[in-house]
Amino acid sequence: MPTFTHGDVSIEVDEDGFMEDPESWNEEIAKALATTEGVEELSEEHWKLVNYLRDYWLKFGIAPMIRKLCKETGFPLKKVYELFPSGPAKGACKVAGLSKPTGCV
Amino acid sequence: MSKDDIRVQDIAKKTPQLYQVDPKQLVPLPYPYEDWEDPAIEPLSEKKLAGRNVGLDGVMNVSIPEPQTEAEKEEMVAKFLVGLRKLLSKDNNWTFLKPLMLSLDNCVKCNTCAEACPIYEMSGKAEIYRPLFRSDVLRRIVNKYVKPGGKLTAKFTGADIDLNWETISRMAHLAYRCNLCRRCAQTCPMGVDNGLLAREIRKLFSQELGISPQELHGDGTIKQLETGSSTGLTPPALMDLMEFAEEDLNDRTGLNIKIPFDKAGADILLIHNAGEFLSWPENLEAFAILFEIAGLSWTLSSEMVGYDSVNYGLFYDDAQYARVTLAHANVAKKLGVKKVVVGECGHAHKAIMAIGDRIWMGESNIPRESCMATMEDLIINEKVMVDPERNNFPVTTHDPCNITRSMGIIEPQRRVLRKICPQFREMTPHGVHNYCCGGGSGFAIMQSHNFPNWKFQLPGRKKFAQMLGAFTREELAPEKNKYVCAPCSNCKGQIRDLINYYDAWERCHMQYGGLVELIVNCMTDVREGFIEWDEFH
Repeated sequence: MPTFTHGDVSIEVDEDGFMEDPESWNEEIAKALATTEGVEELSEEHWKLVNYLRDYWLKFGIAPMIRKLCKETGFPLKKVYELFPSGPAKGACKVAGLSKPTGCV
Repeated sequence: MSKDDIRVQDIAKKTPQLYQVDPKQLVPLPYPYEDWEDPAIEPLSEKKLAGRNVGLDGVMNVSIPEPQTEAEKEEMVAKFLVGLRKLLSKDNNWTFLKPLMLSLDNCVKCNTCAEACPIYEMSGKAEIYRPLFRSDVLRRIVNKYVKPGGKLTAKFTGADIDLNWETISRMAHLAYRCNLCRRCAQTCPMGVDNGLLAREIRKLFSQELGISPQELHGDGTIKQLETGSSTGLTPPALMDLMEFAEEDLNDRTGLNIKIPFDKAGADILLIHNAGEFLSWPENLEAFAILFEIAGLSWTLSSEMVGYDSVNYGLFYDDAQYARVTLAHANVAKKLGVKKVVVGECGHAHKAIMAIGDRIWMGESNIPRESCMATMEDLIINEKVMVDPERNNFPVTTHDPCNITRSMGIIEPQRRVLRKICPQFREMTPHGVHNYCCGGGSGFAIMQSHNFPNWKFQLPGRKKFAQMLGAFTREELAPEKNKYVCAPCSNCKGQIRDLINYYDAWERCHMQYGGLVELIVNCMTDVREGFIEWDEFH
């Protein structure tokens, strides 16, 4: 299992860089994971997205559909891509410490 | 080795890698992609490989740990042989023994299948991807190592092969270089089914050696049986998303529609691929609009597994297949519905309807229908009113292999498309002669390592060339929106990714989506503009 290290953060990740143990996520880990997505600093808008995904995941064990994410954060999808260039699933979910999406999605 | 030089017996060679795809040898694409250059399929670093084998072509979509000692390698080969003998026995392979034996025994090596295979064709005819290459490896092993006196005969017939770790590990990879589209089987004058052989090899590796792609097994059937869906969507999460879907449907159309769940005794239990709930809500919303306006008695299920038609067992493992389809049958039986309608998901059609006939028996033998037929009835018999002018843009359709070639469902969707899309045109070829989207047999959901480039550059390339070929040069201009109908969640995922890989929104304004969205887009009871045209679809 690959290990991802950045500064003081050292965590186990899957083949695509998603956390193996999403329970152990914290803000420091989010900041470290963001660097793998080309995001050097997490702005207030980044956090709004990350926290929304995190809360949803804690409640339901899954990421919501993208349309719901956009509506409830008020960010159009274009904006989500501006914040996380590899997109909501591969970028934002990764930083929020969610597992990799599975199934026909 | 070069693409032309590899022979069947080379599969046993003790070299690190048998073949490497060279993008320069791939078949060129048509207008406006003559200048398109594909990136190389990057070799995986030692770190990424982490002790796993990629001895076939350096590509990884199935994880095969490399044994550390000769003894471990021999053990794997021995296990393989045990599995192979099981495949060839009635007691252990009652499901597919007959077609397996027919396919092993009847090949006359005419290679008609090779011309039919998009992977072989688009690779620039690389020997290892020829359908017969894989089948002959299996055939030679059976003849030499399973049949009495085989070792002696192999030497005289010139069809010799060595069975070692290299052979079996490359076989496992080869079984995952086939989309199981069965275009080869359709064209074979002897009825040999190379797709079935590839699938039987996958089954042997899964059931006997515990080797299978993570996306199909751990994150597929196992997750589905544990959480209710291969996506990890649990019943409470489903209900939350459906509440949102009702709101979303209202935003799009102004209609107030309650999506029905768990209505005992309804005429229809509609089962979607759970991908629709997470990635394409417009599809499930469109079904709700169509069925409600047509006044049908219908329901979805919120029972575990009952809301996800997926059954990846179909692609790799009989036992997992049976567990999932039994769960589907039990949900339908418990609800007491008159029939099950399978939504826009190709492999679910085959899993629930065709292969399902062997499991949905006795009290579980509930009638099962393709949504293509349901939609045809509603549109052709005018149970809802449509204004085709709203769909007056170029539309072509992709034929999901499992719905068309495997099940012969060709005309229902076409009668709908001809009626509601004034500019509908076919791809060449189409219907039972269609080409796979390149995502078939689970490839669409395999997104890791260096596999995506392989699937876009080889099987996906054929489909993309067909998509381009369906439109005129003038129509391909980015000023004009065009729609590729892909009535299958797996195909939709792959076509979305192809459009992205080939930058086809930017270059050609090519959009994709299902069939039911086109219907709702032109229903007069629904306000205009259901289909949204944008890059981020």
